[in-house]
Amino acid sequence: MATNAHRLVTTRLRAQIQPGAVNVVTRPDGVSQALPGQGGVVTGIGLGDVAAARTGDHVEPGASLGHADSAANHAIRLLSCVGNRVTVLDGPAAGARGVVYGKHGAVLAMFAPDVLARLAPGESVAIDAQGIGLAIDGMDDVTAHSLSPQVFEAMAMPVDGRLRIGVVAILPSIAAAAGIGMPAAMFNMDLHSWSEPVASQAKGLRFGDLVAVLDQDHRFGRQHRPGWAMVGIVSHGTAIGGGHGVGLMTLLTAPAARFDFVPNAEARLDRLLPLPWEDTA
Amino acid sequence: MTGLRSNAADLVAANVAGRIAPARIHPEALAVDRDGRQRFLPGTGGIALGVHSGDLASRWEGDHLMPGASIEDADGTPAVAGPLHLLACIGNRVRDRAGHPIGVVAGKRGGLAPGFWAPQLVGVEMRDSVAARLVPEDRVVVEAVGRGLRLLDHPQVTLANVAPRLLDALPLREENGTLHCAVCAVVPPELAGAGLGQDSWIGDLEITDPAAAAELRFGDLVAFTGIDSAVSRYYEPTRVSIGIVSHGPGQAPGHGVGVTILLTGPATHLRPVGGNGALAELLMDWAGEAGSEP
Repeated sequence: MATNAHRLVTTRLRAQIQPGAVNVVTRPDGVSQALPGQGGVVTGIGLGDVAAARTGDHVEPGASLGHADSAANHAIRLLSCVGNRVTVLDGPAAGARGVVYGKHGAVLAMFAPDVLARLAPGESVAIDAQGIGLAIDGMDDVTAHSLSPQVFEAMAMPVDGRLRIGVVAILPSIAAAAGIGMPAAMFNMDLHSWSEPVASQAKGLRFGDLVAVLDQDHRFGRQHRPGWAMVGIVSHGTAIGGGHGVGLMTLLTAPAARFDFVPNAEARLDRLLPLPWEDTA
Repeated sequence: MTGLRSNAADLVAANVAGRIAPARIHPEALAVDRDGRQRFLPGTGGIALGVHSGDLASRWEGDHLMPGASIEDADGTPAVAGPLHLLACIGNRVRDRAGHPIGVVAGKRGGLAPGFWAPQLVGVEMRDSVAARLVPEDRVVVEAVGRGLRLLDHPQVTLANVAPRLLDALPLREENGTLHCAVCAVVPPELAGAGLGQDSWIGDLEITDPAAAAELRFGDLVAFTGIDSAVSRYYEPTRVSIGIVSHGPGQAPGHGVGVTILLTGPATHLRPVGGNGALAELLMDWAGEAGSEP
């Protein structure tokens, strides 16, 4: 497909693995729980694992990346794109390669299990960030966020002026919870985990799944807008507070007529691209 | 007077100190409107002179604008909702550093991502003559009472941000065990935007469709159908939440006129009814009580 990928800038960013958090949250039924939260290095969960399966709150599998300098952190969370290559710079796993698979507040990177086992907060990585500014020839009404050209090429096929995209689920607008009103290029959006029918529809989603939400316009921030749609990638695990749940990071948004969503249970990042540690090229 | 039995006599009252927030521009916030146009308008912090309860919320060219003075916890960072924010209730009296009354808590603003995103502000309605002698960073004290308030005969209905004297003044009517509350508008859950997922005591829940909020005035009661806010604000089809218009339109996508939650319950026990759900006159009366010059 014709895009401006050949003109996109690749910026090498330096980021640090962020410390982990404990989230103390009161559920809608009044029960408070303290659970593993965002950040840190989370081992034992990979792309393709069910995002609601583990007992946590906004758990980010793999390594969570950021920077102590707020402006540098801003650049990391804006410029990093799903599919970008990550290289460990120091510590016992120095030299290992991973991939950006999503964003929450931090940028989320996945590594091979044996690499994850050796990573720790405070260690540095390099992100070769590319994708901001991605545009599709002849489709000015399509906006891409946090999307590398490699992942775009792998997920979308042009058919009669529309983008045919395999998605694991197509959800109604009411699925959109915390994350509405935030910048769509930096933070993700939670899917309601307490409310039917969304709770049932989101229950089986896996990390890395592509998911569409209808009547959502995510060009600038996030808003309910009939006739629009977004597609995103499952980024963080479920959450127990009302208005929170599995995290979905925006990748594409456009008038709904631009999309041809095809249900496909295998529409997942690790099925679309060879993972860096599998890529022998 | 609603005449509803409550535990008001058993509540703890606490004087909490804070300050009038400076006007701030938060660079991390979206600086575009819902169609992507770069647009900046005043509204965050400071004192909005001449803006009052009863004004059309969309009258002013502001962004998340609250009437009167915006106050905050003085010790924390602007992103954190501290004790002043978490204890303040609509109807609480506010005084200045010398102890003179200056106005009444009329709303809250914030709650997009408390702890991470600023601001978390409390709006204080006041007479123009009082506003004229105040400046940002002045110390203020809120006579906070209302946290813990419950309706003894309606345990299904949860109150938030309600001072006892506000409860007495709410347009509530009991009918066959159901509470009917007069409101100025009923909003469907898909129009609930920024503020979802967060503590009902922090900030507000915003109406993302400007058309749905076009007629609303500061101080109007508004119902969200399909929204629960007993703990945090979220989509729950069987429940309803009622709140008060606390701030004006927000320009950014997913933002809009803000509603600070007051009541929530199952739709079977809490029923919004169209009618006179405007509390502006009451808030202005209370602000007027505090208006005598020191």
